[in-house]
Amino acid sequence: MTGLVDARARRAENGPLEAAASSPRLRRGMRSGRLLEEVLGRLLATIAISVAVLYGGGLSYLVARGGSRLVAFTSFATPLSDVDGEDIMRFVLAAGIFAALAWAAGIVIREVVARVRGGASRKADRIAHGVTGLAALAGALAFRDHLPRFLISLPSETRAGGGIGPEIFNTIYFAFLSTLVTLPVGVGAALYMARFAKQRRFVAALRMALDTLASLPSIVYGLFGFLVFVVEMKLGYSLFAGAIVLAILNLPLMVGITEESLRAVPRELEEASLALGATPVQTALRVTVPYAWPGILSALVLTIGRVFAESAPLIMTAGTTVSRGTAYSLDPFRGGETLAVHLWYVNSAGLAPDRADVSAGTAAALVVLILLTNVLAARLARFGGAAGTRMRRATR
Amino acid sequence: MRTAAVASDRGSREAAVRLVLVSCAGLVLLTTVAMLAFLGHAGLKGIREVGLVPLLSGILWKPEADTYGGLPLIFGTFVSAGGAIVVGAVPAVLAALWTTELAPRSTRSAYRRTMEVAAAVPSVVYGWLALVYLVPQMEKVAHHVRGQGATGGEGLASAAVLLGIMIAPTVLLLSLDSLARVPSALRDASAALGASPWQTATRVILPGGWRGIVVAVFFGFARAAGETMAVQMVIGGARKLPENAFSPTTTISTQIVMDMQNARPGTPGSNVLFAMSLVLLVVSVIVVLGTRWLTRGGKTA
Repeated sequence: MTGLVDARARRAENGPLEAAASSPRLRRGMRSGRLLEEVLGRLLATIAISVAVLYGGGLSYLVARGGSRLVAFTSFATPLSDVDGEDIMRFVLAAGIFAALAWAAGIVIREVVARVRGGASRKADRIAHGVTGLAALAGALAFRDHLPRFLISLPSETRAGGGIGPEIFNTIYFAFLSTLVTLPVGVGAALYMARFAKQRRFVAALRMALDTLASLPSIVYGLFGFLVFVVEMKLGYSLFAGAIVLAILNLPLMVGITEESLRAVPRELEEASLALGATPVQTALRVTVPYAWPGILSALVLTIGRVFAESAPLIMTAGTTVSRGTAYSLDPFRGGETLAVHLWYVNSAGLAPDRADVSAGTAAALVVLILLTNVLAARLARFGGAAGTRMRRATR
Repeated sequence: MRTAAVASDRGSREAAVRLVLVSCAGLVLLTTVAMLAFLGHAGLKGIREVGLVPLLSGILWKPEADTYGGLPLIFGTFVSAGGAIVVGAVPAVLAALWTTELAPRSTRSAYRRTMEVAAAVPSVVYGWLALVYLVPQMEKVAHHVRGQGATGGEGLASAAVLLGIMIAPTVLLLSLDSLARVPSALRDASAALGASPWQTATRVILPGGWRGIVVAVFFGFARAAGETMAVQMVIGGARKLPENAFSPTTTISTQIVMDMQNARPGTPGSNVLFAMSLVLLVVSVIVVLGTRWLTRGGKTA
């Protein structure tokens, strides 16, 4: 409505001028179809805004619904159970939580300081990093036994009060394991494609392969992993199989963004390096890759986000169980479920009476993790430029 | 003498690094080929055991009786994905058009950010939300439309709406990119000719970016057709053709993940699942080829 009023007011203002114009057809407000445009524009705006409200509201609701379980620090120390490695897991988890909190606070503080004093300083950065590390250490030492029970206890299939401790551990461990493959292979292949490729045919085949990989549904990766690792290699359900499958799944994303970052390195820098007598390989390893490093890291963070989110291939390669004895074990040849798998399992096979709350908590934890990776990737990509296209590729 | 030694040493290191890089690239290629080969091998075995025509046109999927008619699975997959396009992709494209052309500049980046997070949210989370909030509503709708006795809730309609909600952010972001890639000189020229923002949007930007939008919708369809766990949670899992839009049915990926737990590897029961996955493979190959065909020449997505 306001738009109409505005247009009318403008017309009133411009009245004399427009009246002076020779042809009445030139008057903006009189153009035929103007009202229809206005209505259609409003309609589009309504659709777009309701879409945004739906998703924004849904995400906030998720965090609000399950968030209470994630921040319910206990006033009494939770005794350690007899599960191996639980004390280390608690320490690391507490350190992670407090580091994330301090990091977020650090961003805000730095922003404020930069606004007030104009321009960020290296010193402020260093101080912020130090404070983050100290906060992580102090938080871990002080609160490791007071962490919310939901985050540190074992899941329960039949009784209420199950937690997601092993699931959190497995999720992070999966990210680590698959990174061991994704990072070297992804960067190597991207560097080859961006700087050393000679045979056009080979590169064309490679691109076709990457495109195909990128468009395959994740269940197909699950089938492949199941066939090769679980059946043929007789490994049974294992983290190793799941991590390899996730690494393959992430290769197109990793190679694509890394290649883009490598190609964005200014040619002058490389030419300067070559002019100083460095060989192409030296130039690539000491100039190109370091320059593109933030972009590579942001790609890596996005692949980690996919590791957090994926469920179907993991169900088929790493199974849906958590066993008490090896809940926090670093052995990659045991099975184990991640947060996403747990969320599915609780709802389709779980019998716990409080599964609505457990699901809400798990979903909130997942959304928080995804938010973290997204923010981190966006910040890293800002150093490397072209944040937009990067984020886009990740969402395919 | 020494410089020569240094040079040859450097030369061999150089060659070694190059070899490592090439082998990384080769590994990517090899993995893809291996994947297609393994799946194709097992899938073809399944097709040979059951026969292509019965597998694609049989309407009864009953592994316990060794009856493998894949039509319900294929039908469920394509209809739910098609429904997702209607429910999710259409509003997403319209919203993308509004965001790039008509929205106030200040809201654009916030809009993008929200959608980026929404697109990255795990699909099981969407599945769980749909199970808890969408399915009861859908049951009410089913009762309203088809009378009290009708089965509703978990079924085709829920799956389609869920998939629509799931793919909308992806389609929206990809369309945003393609619309933003239309040169702004065109925008300026259109404005200079006296076109209103609406006219510019519908007659300049949309024709300029339609290829990218089609690609975005393609990807949305592929993602919807391949989605597994979220759909499994709400589609009901009945292994037969749905009687109406609300009745429970199944999809290829759902059936794969459910039956794989019970099927002994190497048996027909396991091989047909690989054969069914070839249908998904064909869908994604079509998407890749379609994308290439649409974006040949120009650089897109």
